[in-house]
Amino acid sequence: MGLGILLVDVLSPLLEFISTFLPGEFFPYYFSAPYLQRPLLAAVMVTVVAGILGCYLLIQHLALMGDGLAHVAFGGVAVGIVLGATSPLSYALVFSVTAAVLIHEMQSREMLTGDASIAIFLTGMLALGLVILRLGGGALTTDIESYLFGNLNLIDEESLDLIALICLVSLVVLGFIRQGLLACAVDPVAARVQGLPVRNIGLLFSVTTAAVVVVMVQVVGTLLVTALLVTPAATGQLLGRSFRQCMLWTQAFGFSSVILGLYLSAEYDTGSGSMIALVAAVIFAIVAISQVVIRSFIQSDDNIN
Amino acid sequence: MKPLVVGTLSEDEVILEVKDLSVKRSGNLILKDINFSIKRGEFVGLVGPNGSGKSTLLLTLLGVLRSHQGSVTLYGHPPLSNRLIGKIGWVAQAAANLPKDIRITIRELVRLGTINGKNMFRISDGGRRKRVDKAIQMVGLEDVQHRDIARLSGGQRQRAIIARALASESEFILLDEPLVGIDRESRNSLLKLLDQLCHDEGKTILMVSHDLTAIRQTAHRMIFLEQTIRFDGISDEFPDLVQLANLRGIGAVHDGTDHADHHHHHHHHHQKEEE
Repeated sequence: MGLGILLVDVLSPLLEFISTFLPGEFFPYYFSAPYLQRPLLAAVMVTVVAGILGCYLLIQHLALMGDGLAHVAFGGVAVGIVLGATSPLSYALVFSVTAAVLIHEMQSREMLTGDASIAIFLTGMLALGLVILRLGGGALTTDIESYLFGNLNLIDEESLDLIALICLVSLVVLGFIRQGLLACAVDPVAARVQGLPVRNIGLLFSVTTAAVVVVMVQVVGTLLVTALLVTPAATGQLLGRSFRQCMLWTQAFGFSSVILGLYLSAEYDTGSGSMIALVAAVIFAIVAISQVVIRSFIQSDDNIN
Repeated sequence: MKPLVVGTLSEDEVILEVKDLSVKRSGNLILKDINFSIKRGEFVGLVGPNGSGKSTLLLTLLGVLRSHQGSVTLYGHPPLSNRLIGKIGWVAQAAANLPKDIRITIRELVRLGTINGKNMFRISDGGRRKRVDKAIQMVGLEDVQHRDIARLSGGQRQRAIIARALASESEFILLDEPLVGIDRESRNSLLKLLDQLCHDEGKTILMVSHDLTAIRQTAHRMIFLEQTIRFDGISDEFPDLVQLANLRGIGAVHDGTDHADHHHHHHHHHQKEEE
């Protein structure tokens, strides 16, 4: 029995208890029905880790990193499907991690600036996947579509175990490197003078991001990874006054996006991934607009003292 | 306070030794035949016109630039050696180097100074909180310590970065143009702070600046750099502009770059004050 199933077993009574208080006709089943508890837990776990990664990605100006790696991962999925793999996600993992390492190397050797190397990998690996798919006689089937837009129903016990494991390992890794990561992002030269292994910290972070992105491809889909990785973190940055506060707000927004997104998608029968992404974007818009409005109405002394 | 004996015994200890250093950057010779050393407790000002290689020299000393000829040793070790962890503090040019879009408070920034290659994985606090408190207090930013760095004045930001270096409890502090982009009042209190760090806290300081007047008041010793060292001696003996022009091989009538530097600098002050 894997980590994910263990988690379902432990949390199941609590989730069932919560389900009795929830509104909606279909939404409570996410908490009471075992086959829907899995996607719920997967989505929440991934959101927590994605929020943390997002905060660090934003301060490094790597907002598009997730998007790039997701497309690379999709290329991997396509190759996996053509080769008849039972779990195409393992191909995605290899593709994504390799790309992350190469992108990091290109950046630290200053061969290309951040965005350019991401863009090349994004399109190159996506194209490779599509070409191989055609050569293998495949087409864009529903199976493949679910990797583009996410399909929570794809999450069986085995995938949940993988998702839980990757999330847990990522949390541990991030916990260890969080201070060094922040120091490197704020001032890489100072970090090097302090004797921090700037390069290895960056590499570890890239690999972690790559692994998390792969599991996100399954939950929200290739095209919507950024919605969970960057949108909550960007909303958090609007409100937070310190890095710590940004992190907390990010978690709050990520969690609300997932729960509200699942609720709306269940009640109105829309895709869960796209609904989560839409909710995240709407929350960002509401926070951003109200901030502008409030600032223009209240004479803020913040800027003066 | 360290026991006095230690201080006197180590007074003559050479902390930095630079021998026959030459540095090329993208094909151009930026530094040529640099030789000097710095002893414990010295306050050295490194001056020179724009593009004279001051920053290149600093980055080479730190080990960030590695393509050089000749040798640099800090405490008897090459730059970036593991033995140097926790000994060297770096104060970057605040205005240019701190990203303004990162939401991070002064306190969080200063705390980053306490981590290094040896303790970054340690989970316990290990007295970090105290070191952060002390560093913030030394630069006088207690009142704004929870404020986001994007909302600070130039002078406050510079102090915050100095506090970051102080929190590392390094003995040797290198500063790159700490006086740029700050108003006159902050400049004076910053110089006073650096003076205190050297005299009361026993820090060794190497400060790069093109503000000759300021550095002359504060530093004990000055090095004038223009590709190579043109002057190295106590601040009182630092040449005036005419002598300087002769040193640099430019006619006395035309004292070009330095004058321009000053002009530029004053202009900058005015801009700041108007804001």
